[in-house]
Amino acid sequence: MIARAGLRNLREVLRDEMVQRDRIAEALREGAKTIPQLATALRAPENEVTKWVMAMRRYGRLRELPKSRSDDYFLYGLVGGSP
Amino acid sequence: MTDAAPKADYDVLVVGAGIGGMESALTLGEMGFKVLVVEKEPSVGGRMILLSKVFPTLDCASCISTPKMAAVNNHPNVRTLVSSEVDRIVPRKDGGFDIELTRKPTFIDPAKCTGCALCEAACTVAVPDEFNYDLSARRAAHIAFPQAVPKKAVITRRGSSPCSFSCPAGVKPHGYISLVRAGKYDEAFRQHLEDAPLVGVLSRACYAPCEESCSRKELEGALPIRGIKRFMADRYYSTHAVPEYGPPREQNGKRVAIVGSGPGGLAAGFRLGQLGYAVTIFEAEPEPGGILRWGIPAYRLPKEVLARDVANVTALGVRIETGRKVSSIAALRDQGFDAVFLATGDRGGRKLQVPGEELSGVQDAVEYLHRINEGHPPDLAGKAVVVIGGGNVAIDSARSALRLGARSVKMFCLESRLEMPAHPWEIREAEEEGVVLTNSWGVGQVLGYDQRVFGVELVRCTSVFDEAHRFRPTFDLSVQETVPADVVITAIGLAPNTAAFAGEVALERNGTIKVDPETLATSAPGVFAGGDAVTGPSMIVTAIGQGKRAAFFIDRFLRGESTEGTRFDSRLPKVDPVQVAAEAHESASPRPPVPLRRRPAEERIGSFQTYEEAFTEDQARDSANRCLDCGVCSECRECVRACPADAIDLGMAARHEAVTVRSVALATGFSPFDAKAKPALGFGRFANVINGPQMDRILAPTRPYNAVVRPSDGKAPSNVAFVLCVGSRDEQVGNRLCSRVCCMYSMKQAQLLMGSLPLADVTIYYIDIRAFGKGYEEFYQQTKGMSVYFQKGRVSRIEETDGHDLLVHFEDVEGGGGHKVARHDLVVLSTGLLPNQGAFGLFPSGTLERDAASYVHEVDEELEPGATSLEGVFAIGAATAVRDIPDTIVHAEAASAQIAAYLRRGGATA
Repeated sequence: MIARAGLRNLREVLRDEMVQRDRIAEALREGAKTIPQLATALRAPENEVTKWVMAMRRYGRLRELPKSRSDDYFLYGLVGGSP
Repeated sequence: MTDAAPKADYDVLVVGAGIGGMESALTLGEMGFKVLVVEKEPSVGGRMILLSKVFPTLDCASCISTPKMAAVNNHPNVRTLVSSEVDRIVPRKDGGFDIELTRKPTFIDPAKCTGCALCEAACTVAVPDEFNYDLSARRAAHIAFPQAVPKKAVITRRGSSPCSFSCPAGVKPHGYISLVRAGKYDEAFRQHLEDAPLVGVLSRACYAPCEESCSRKELEGALPIRGIKRFMADRYYSTHAVPEYGPPREQNGKRVAIVGSGPGGLAAGFRLGQLGYAVTIFEAEPEPGGILRWGIPAYRLPKEVLARDVANVTALGVRIETGRKVSSIAALRDQGFDAVFLATGDRGGRKLQVPGEELSGVQDAVEYLHRINEGHPPDLAGKAVVVIGGGNVAIDSARSALRLGARSVKMFCLESRLEMPAHPWEIREAEEEGVVLTNSWGVGQVLGYDQRVFGVELVRCTSVFDEAHRFRPTFDLSVQETVPADVVITAIGLAPNTAAFAGEVALERNGTIKVDPETLATSAPGVFAGGDAVTGPSMIVTAIGQGKRAAFFIDRFLRGESTEGTRFDSRLPKVDPVQVAAEAHESASPRPPVPLRRRPAEERIGSFQTYEEAFTEDQARDSANRCLDCGVCSECRECVRACPADAIDLGMAARHEAVTVRSVALATGFSPFDAKAKPALGFGRFANVINGPQMDRILAPTRPYNAVVRPSDGKAPSNVAFVLCVGSRDEQVGNRLCSRVCCMYSMKQAQLLMGSLPLADVTIYYIDIRAFGKGYEEFYQQTKGMSVYFQKGRVSRIEETDGHDLLVHFEDVEGGGGHKVARHDLVVLSTGLLPNQGAFGLFPSGTLERDAASYVHEVDEELEPGATSLEGVFAIGAATAVRDIPDTIVHAEAASAQIAAYLRRGGATA
C-alpha cells in the first residue's frame, strides 16, 4: 500500500524535543526501548521520535545498547539518572 | 611585503575558508604575503570537513582537513576572521581594493570561550543542525561541529522575538516560555525576576502587550503568555514562601530615596538594591504597592500575590517606609540621600466639571476603589449605579459595583466601542457579568434632590477626537437622555500626583514631571522621575520599565559616569512576525491555543475572589511549546548561568571594518542542489529519502546518529539505493552540467555502507558512470567487486509504503527494458553541485564576469588559472567550475601562483 502522509515542519518537530524528552525519559525508566516502541508509548510518529532520541543522545541523556547484526533496531536506555 | 607595491593592509583577501581558500591562504602565507581570510561560518573547513572519507583513497576527511584548518587559523601571515562576511569590494585607483566587511555578532566572546559546550548543554532552544544537513537538532547556543576551528561557541540570533521586543518593562517572554517548555519552571521564574520584579502581579493583572505581538497570532492564535507566567509564578511561590536570596554582599555606601511604592518605585528599588545601594522607598499609604494595592480590585490581583512580590524587593535590603508622605526633595537631600527617584503616580481622578458633581452619591473612581481595597467598601446593595468613563478604571469600578450587590450597573462613555481605551476582553467580561455599556454619551449634568443624586442627564457625543487625534469632544445638545442613578462613579482620567514638587522640579503643562526621555533625569540634579508621574496613566509594565530605566541612569549618575550618549535599550531589531508565521505555516500542524478557564459570570460576581483558573502543568507546557522561537535564541540566559568563563555577551553588536588589499581570491565554493526541486523523488516528503551530503554525515565519525539507521524509525537499513544525477545533467532543473563528483561519492558511500552493514544490498541507479580521475576507474571496479549492484536507468519517481519503505520507479535500460519498480528501505539522492552566486554581488554591478554556466569566468583557464575579468581578482576551485577535492587543491595552488606573480610584479600598477 502506498502511504500519503507528509512530514511535519522540521523546526516544529525539533522544538517538540524540549517537551518530549521528559516523556521519553519517563518511558525509558521502565527499561530500554527501540524507537518504534517509544513511538507507541508516546503515540508519536516514529520519524519524529527518531529526531528526539538522536538529540537526546547527542546531549548525553540516553545511549544505545549493543545490538547483534540480526537485530533491526537499537535499544536506547537512559544515561545514569538523566534527565 | 613586495616591491613597488601600493600600500595596503593585506596583500590578499581570501573570501571563503573551504579547502580551496585554506590551501591558497596557506600557500600565499608561506610565500610571505599577508593574507586576510574571511569566512561567513563560525569555523573554517568548508564542506570537506563534513565528509566521512574522501575518494578514491578512503582517507578520513577530518584527518586531512583539520591540520590545514589549524594551520590557517594560526599562521603568522594569515589573519582569519570567521563569522564574518565581505560586504563590498571596491577597486581603487592604485590597483588595490577597498574592502568593507562585517564581523557578525556571535554573542559569545571568543577570547573568553574555552569551547567547553556547557552553554550548548544548557540551551533551551532546539533548531535544525545545518552542519548535519538538518538530520538532527542542535541548540541555539552551539559549537558548529566537533572539529570546529576555532572551537568557539556561538549563539544563533535572528533578532528580538516580537513578544520580548514589545514589553515596555523589558521582560523577555520568549525566555521564560522556552524554560517552561523545557520543564525548568523555577529557572523560568528567576529569569523573569532578572528582567523585572512583580512577577506575580504581572501574571494576574498585566494587559500583556506581548500576546498582541505574538507571531502565532498570525496562525491559530497568540500564545497565552500571561497564563504561562501565572503558572510559573504560582508554582514558584507555592514552593518558595519567602525569597531565596538576601541583600547583596557588597554595599556601595550610597543612598537613594524613592518616592512612591507603585510598580515604578518598586522596580527601581529592586534594581538599585541589586546593585548594592541603600534604598528607602517612601510610601504615603499604610501599605506598599500604590495603584497595585489600592487601585486594582482583588478579583484581578489578590493582595497576597502583591505582598509576596514586594517581599522580593525588600529581601534585597530595600526599606519601605509606609505612612511617610514626602513633599520636599530638599528634605530628602538633607537626610543624606545621594539621589532621588520620584514615582508618585496619580493622585486621583479628574473632575467632570458639570453641574451636580458635588452631590452626595457622586464618587471619584480612584477613591471608590481605594475604599474597596482598604476593606471599607461603599454600600451599593440594591442601588442603581452609573459609571462614567470608558477606560479600564471605569470597567474595574463597574465590575466592583456588581460584586458589591448593585441592582444595576450602567456605563456611559464618550467614545465609540472601537475608541474605548479599555481592553476588549475587559469590556467583554464586564458585559458577561451584567454591566450595561452605552457608547457615545457625555454628561450634561448630574441631577439631584436635597443634595443627593438621583440621575444623570446625558448628551449625545458626536466625536471625541479632532483631526490631529487630540481629545476634543463635540456634542449634539439636541439629543439628550436622562438615566436614574443612586450612585454615580466618575472614571474619566487620572491626574498626576506631582503638585508637592512643583517648586523643585520642572513640570509639564498637564502636571506631569518634565524629564529627559532617555535618562528620566528631571531639571534638578540627581533627581529622576518615572511612571505615571511622567507618562500620565499607563500600564503596569510601562511603569516598571520606567523604574528600570531610572535605576540604570541613577547608577551611572552615582558612579560619576556620563549619561550622555548612553543607551539603556540594547534590544536587537524585532523579527517580523508575519514572516515567521509564513515560514511556520509550511507543513506546520495547527495547534489552537488552550484558553484560560474562567468561572461563569454569575458565579464570579458573588465575591472579589479571583475567577481566572491557572493552567495545569501539561497545559502550561503545551502552551509554551506552541512558541515559534521567532528570534531563535530565547534570551533565557541559561547559557549565561552555565558558562564558567563569563563569555556570554547577549549585547554584542555587529562590527564593521574597512581594510585595503592588493588582490582578491574568491574561494566561495559551490551551492548544493536542493532535491526538493525534484518533487517526484520525494525528498522532504519521505523520511527515508535523503541526499548525498546527508549520507556522508551519517557515515562520518561525528555522525548525527549512533549508526547507519533510517531517519524514519531508527532501523538499520538492509536495502539501500543511490540515485545518481539528481540536479545535474538535467535540463528540467536548468543544470545541464555533470557535477563530476556524484558518481564517485556515491560509490564511496556504497563501499562505506558495505563496511557498516555487510548484509545490506546496495543498488546504484545511473545513466553512465564517470570515473575520470587518478584511481577512479579502479575504485569503480572495486565497488562492483564488493557486490554493489549497478542498475543503468533513470529514476522517474519514488513512492513511500506504509512501512516507510520506498518504491523506486525506473527505466530498465540494460535489462529487460521498460518501466520497473524496485523496493528499498533507504534511498540516497546523489545531488549535484551548482554555482555559488554570492561572489558576484560583492563587486560593482556587472564588473565580475560569469561564464555560460554562471560560474566565475576564468579569462584563460589554461595559461592563467584563476584569473578573472577583473585585474587583481582571482577565483579558486569550485568558484570557477565543478571540481572534486583533488582538482580544487590543484586549482588553488595554480591560482595562488598566479596571485603571487601578480603581487611580485607590483600588482596592477606595474
